[in-house]
Amino acid sequence: MEGDVKSRITKKSLKLSKRNLIIAVAVFILLLIMPQFLSAYLNGVAVRVMIYILLVASMNIVNGYTGQFTVGQMGFANVGAYVTAIMMTNYEISFWIAVVVSGLAASLMGALVSYPARKLSGLYLAAVTLGFSEILRVIALNWISVTGGAMGIAGIPVPEIFGFRLSTPLSTFYMVFAFIVIMLICNYCVISSKVGRAWISIRENEEAAKSLGINTYRYKSLGFIYGGFWAGIAGAVMAVFYRFIDSNMFSMADNFDVLAMMIIGGQGTLFGPIVGSTLVIGSLEAFRFTAAYRGIIFGGVIIFMMWVRPQGILGKSTKDGPIKMFYNKLVSRSKANRKGGTA
Amino acid sequence: MSVIMESKNVSKQFGGLRAVDNVSTQVPEGSIFGIIGPNGAGKTTYLNLLSGAHSTTSGEFIFCGENITGNSVHKNAKKGIARTFQQIQLFDSMTVLDNVIVGFHKHEKSNMADAIFRTKRYWREEVEIRQKGIELLERLEMAEYIDQIASNLSYGMQRKVEIARALATSPKLLLLDEPAAGMNANETYTLLEFIKFIRTKGYTIIVIEHDIKFILNLCDEIMVLNFGQKIAQGTPSEIRDNKAVIEAYFGTGRVAKHMGVAKDE
Amino acid sequence: MTAAFIFEQLINGLSQGSIFALFAIGYALIVGVVGMATLCHGEVIMIGGFMAFFTISLSWIPTNIIVMALICFIVPALVGIVIHIICYEKFLDSPRHISLVCTIGMSILLINLAQIVFGTQTQGVRTNQVIQPRSFEVFGVFIGMIEITIFIVVIVLCILLALFLNKTKYGVVLKAVSQNRKAAALMGVNVKRATMVGSLLGCGIAGIGGMLFALYYSSISPLIGPPVMIRAFSATVLGGMSDISMSALGGIVIGVMENFGIAFAGSAMRDIFAFMFLILVLLFLPEGLRLGGGRRRGR
Repeated sequence: MEGDVKSRITKKSLKLSKRNLIIAVAVFILLLIMPQFLSAYLNGVAVRVMIYILLVASMNIVNGYTGQFTVGQMGFANVGAYVTAIMMTNYEISFWIAVVVSGLAASLMGALVSYPARKLSGLYLAAVTLGFSEILRVIALNWISVTGGAMGIAGIPVPEIFGFRLSTPLSTFYMVFAFIVIMLICNYCVISSKVGRAWISIRENEEAAKSLGINTYRYKSLGFIYGGFWAGIAGAVMAVFYRFIDSNMFSMADNFDVLAMMIIGGQGTLFGPIVGSTLVIGSLEAFRFTAAYRGIIFGGVIIFMMWVRPQGILGKSTKDGPIKMFYNKLVSRSKANRKGGTA
Repeated sequence: MSVIMESKNVSKQFGGLRAVDNVSTQVPEGSIFGIIGPNGAGKTTYLNLLSGAHSTTSGEFIFCGENITGNSVHKNAKKGIARTFQQIQLFDSMTVLDNVIVGFHKHEKSNMADAIFRTKRYWREEVEIRQKGIELLERLEMAEYIDQIASNLSYGMQRKVEIARALATSPKLLLLDEPAAGMNANETYTLLEFIKFIRTKGYTIIVIEHDIKFILNLCDEIMVLNFGQKIAQGTPSEIRDNKAVIEAYFGTGRVAKHMGVAKDE
Repeated sequence: MTAAFIFEQLINGLSQGSIFALFAIGYALIVGVVGMATLCHGEVIMIGGFMAFFTISLSWIPTNIIVMALICFIVPALVGIVIHIICYEKFLDSPRHISLVCTIGMSILLINLAQIVFGTQTQGVRTNQVIQPRSFEVFGVFIGMIEITIFIVVIVLCILLALFLNKTKYGVVLKAVSQNRKAAALMGVNVKRATMVGSLLGCGIAGIGGMLFALYYSSISPLIGPPVMIRAFSATVLGGMSDISMSALGGIVIGVMENFGIAFAGSAMRDIFAFMFLILVLLFLPEGLRLGGGRRRGR
């Protein structure tokens, strides 16, 4: 019975089937090889996509799994970026240590914002998280002695591993790719555990969760801490990829961009952030030639998604969306035609 | 029989409204204890006070000898008080088994580190709670619904799942808030038998219900509230003939006269 | 730290606060009647500001304050109707976050559209053409015609709005829809039309606010939306998002807070005062304040 149940658990949560496994491995190998054939520019774009994947995924944990409406992950990334930048430029600490410290520092910020957030929900919660992100941004902009103020921090060195300098988009690609794989594994592990269940139950029905002995305040904070950690990692990556950071890279508009990518990809899903980020950044790059009109298209796409598929591309819907309904209508109409006219 | 829960002069004031007024009672262990009263009598508020969803304005709750007044809901849940709600509060998108598994939360000891590194403890507990969940559902004769999505079930079945989930916490005291609400006669009867069956497993159950027949058939002891005050407590037969109770439900007019209780004009 | 200094900050604070109050009133009206929060209110205000700019700079429009006020009401109101149709009407019965994200998309779209149509630069607004550059000395501080104009416009608008909402039939209809939509529908109210009127009014008022904003700062840019939106939102939180008088009060408090704040902490901290106000209010009054009580039901 035990092995039976064990495999039942894994199979069910991973939706593992031979077919899916083969696809996953194929995609993985493809992604490993692909950058070798792409130009440095495209690899750079890919790195940007992956940075956003980290950010969107971090927001997804808090939003999609614990159900807390947060729009402030950029604030945590801000902290992570500055921590890495300062540690590497001023103290010449290795990137690999700095990145972990960045994640932890960002987690701390997450824990801080979780206190006022505990009793709030909906738009108020979103506003507080956004406000917290903005406050962090303004503090960083003004704490000149530590952060260099509006000048930001420039000349951030590149990470080194075993003496090999990760200075090209290609090498950075593999580094971020590794982070993302680690993150996906961690996310999967946490979601399919006691913590993940507690989170989902809080999202579905907080009162019921409380009545089952779940300390909802603690788990809500844990969500912010875990989400904050990965946002901090994303910030650290930004620091060594752009080799320059300043607070305005983490503005309110950037927060909304991350939110849009999460919604478009589908919140509450493991791969939604990947789909969302890839699609948005990919199209923004593809439409680069339209220059100023890019923004209009971006806004239009968001509106379009809300009209047509509000649960996101990978999201589950509770009722049929407009596309499904149209599809159903087509199917029933063709059935009626086959039967000879009367519907 | 020992007393598992005692309330001493419990009151709750909401602004100008005294929703619960000086209610004192004792609930014997292993019994089915009913709380009835007209709408707005304060029954659900009383339950909320007991479980910790609201804070008392005055008075105390003693549970298993311990003063639990002012505890939060989840703290009381950990101490052994489980409840169901007037409107069924399942985790709609989860399966029946998953709903029940959440109930085992307070028994699980593994943490985030265990989850990420997939320690032995993680695997042991994951297997354990699924086994226990399946066993629980089998004992309650709901095994066939294990993998069904909760929101797809019939209303009566959903209520049973909610109760099963509450039982997963291994409570000492189970609070049922109008469990038969919205059910037809058949479902109500099934529920009645279900609750009686649960009691045989040793749980103490407090039931709030409107359906007087349901309560009279089910409970060992009944407390009657009206306007937040306790107006009667006793066995079903005592309550059935109690003047104050009949007056509370039927007033002092014709119907009450017909039942031979009201004063003649 | 003279009395004159404090008084000057107070006047500045009240002027800016009154403008914020107007933003907040428009916002509260929309959130109350339509029942959904929006994140593109700042862009409506921005459009109002640009209408003021065009009234002055386009020679074929007579440059007087009445014409300006009319244009700055009507054009944003029309934009409000478009926003309403795209972002609210379809989602009246859907989960709240869908319309919210839709307004985010709308905001991005409008900002970029404005940058294409109006240009990306900050435009100067020649306030003097509309408002005489006179000032009066009161208690050692100079109060300009612009401040007086702001006070008058805001007070008049508030009185008109109060009269409309309380004394006219349709105003009461709007209040009813904002308090309990289902009950209003059962009373025969055309809820769809009422919500659109709410949007229209809210955006029109926001447009006037934008006009005053442009006149006060003598400049307007397509990017003022987000910072302005924050102040409007934070102000309405004081009123539980839908109480108009409390939202106005919130706006004034934020205006005064900001002015005294930057007098001591420097102007770089300007943006966070609104957020600090927001966090403080939510910490102590999670539901906001409400004049005349009443809870929102039927949602």
